[in-house]
Amino acid sequence: MDSGDRISRSARLALLAPAVLVIAFCLGGPLALLLSYSFAPGGSTRADFSDGLTLENYVGVLGDTFYLGIIFKTLWLSVLVTLAAILVGWPLAYFLWKMPPRFKTLCTLGIVAPLLISIPVRNYGWMLILGDTGLINKALLALGLIARPLRMMFTDLAVVIGLTHVLMPFVVLSVLASLERIPGDLAEAACSLGANRLTAIRLIVIPLSMPGLLAGATLVFCVASSSYVTPALMGPSGAKYSAVLIYQQFVSVFDWPRGAAVAVVLLVITAFALILVLGSADRRYRHLLRSH
Amino acid sequence: MRPAFALLIAALYIFIFAPLVVVVVISLNGGTVASLPIESWSLRWYFKAFETTAFINGLWTSTWLAVAATLIAAPLALAAAIAIARADFLGRNELEAFLMAPILVPGIVIGIALLLSASLLQLHDAPVRLLVAHVLIAFPYCMRTIYASLTRLDPVLVDGAMTLGANRWRVFWHITLPLVRPGLIAGMIFAFLQSFGDVPISLFLTDARNNTLPLTIMSYLEYNVDPTVAAMSSLVTLASLLLALGLERLAGLRRALG
Repeated sequence: MDSGDRISRSARLALLAPAVLVIAFCLGGPLALLLSYSFAPGGSTRADFSDGLTLENYVGVLGDTFYLGIIFKTLWLSVLVTLAAILVGWPLAYFLWKMPPRFKTLCTLGIVAPLLISIPVRNYGWMLILGDTGLINKALLALGLIARPLRMMFTDLAVVIGLTHVLMPFVVLSVLASLERIPGDLAEAACSLGANRLTAIRLIVIPLSMPGLLAGATLVFCVASSSYVTPALMGPSGAKYSAVLIYQQFVSVFDWPRGAAVAVVLLVITAFALILVLGSADRRYRHLLRSH
Repeated sequence: MRPAFALLIAALYIFIFAPLVVVVVISLNGGTVASLPIESWSLRWYFKAFETTAFINGLWTSTWLAVAATLIAAPLALAAAIAIARADFLGRNELEAFLMAPILVPGIVIGIALLLSASLLQLHDAPVRLLVAHVLIAFPYCMRTIYASLTRLDPVLVDGAMTLGANRWRVFWHITLPLVRPGLIAGMIFAFLQSFGDVPISLFLTDARNNTLPLTIMSYLEYNVDPTVAAMSSLVTLASLLLALGLERLAGLRRALG
């Protein structure tokens, strides 16, 4: 028999098989089917391979300014969301890092717990704040600062605000994890050697928080670029966002192969961003990761 | 803390909580339109929410779905987590990534992939389609949390029990399971909330009689302005925050979120 903490090969197989089979059949199979659909002639909800595989869906998506426009718009808004999430998330992570342990748990909980609330519910609050008869417009009208309600809801700005609110906790968590690996006296040492607080933050804290910042930002970018709920609820009407476009291809246009191709393009872009950013982060910041 | 920084942090916390608080406040408004200022305080929209068939059906569908999916996913995840935590074999990291794939692949992509499969297999039964999807949603959240608590388990305990003659089952029942129970329950709460709140996957798999609560809320938001949806949303928010508190006490929310 094998020793204590190890388990035998056959036991391992028996323990893993159910989960692996479920994921393979319920996710692997369907994703392979999705990929095959993207190579079928478009215009219907069936995949008809009697004339062999075709690239027409990819040509149609990547060669058409309508589709390309939506994809680039999505990526651009995702970049804005990522930057906003960094600007909101980094100071919060720094604040939590500096907190005495007693309050730290509670303050962290306040930032992280909303992650567990369903997204339409979180968006709804913003609709009540940003809408034409929402909180901000009512306040500005009452103060006489504007004559007509500002159009904020159902715009790209609303999507960026909504997504930043939904995804920002990921930046907080991963930056905080990086900060907590900094030896406590490092910034103090810099200060005692004559650096002021801002210099210490700029030269020591920010560089050492980079691995977490990049990981969190990558996660935010990937989730933002493929998110559906917030753009559908808070964005301009019509397909102005990749995931909304995919939904419409499937549910109102009934062109499943074309929709599948858009989904595959989205998937490839997300995976590419992940590899690119994490790969370069690794190279540039490997020494930081190793030393802590 | 400098005053300027304190002010910035206060503003950021307002940014986080304002949308949640606004919904709760408006749900208590006695007036007929979901907006401020409050005309009179009232619980009428909560009663109205529980008289609205769509919300009741949605609440029921989302609840049984999340419970069933979590109960199916948890034992699968427990078994897989034990196998991965207790062994160092070739391709272990790849296998772990494969099992976590339901989190890594965008929801909308999983949704349409399951729609294509359901249509190919002539799967017309919406509850079955939804259950399969929600087991996928629940599984990685269970596994991550259980795995995290298994890696913190002291191997000496298992070794000791086995040296004293306990077989694998006894070790599992009397040592491993009690020690990972907080992680297991935390993982199940986490999985329940993810399944309960899902939109992009369920979106393609429901039918008129089996609509989930978040989808019902979403379509209500597009066509209605009265505060009924605020009442329902407040209940979801409060229940989620309570469960988040439970998660925090059992396993630590940060650890669970990985």
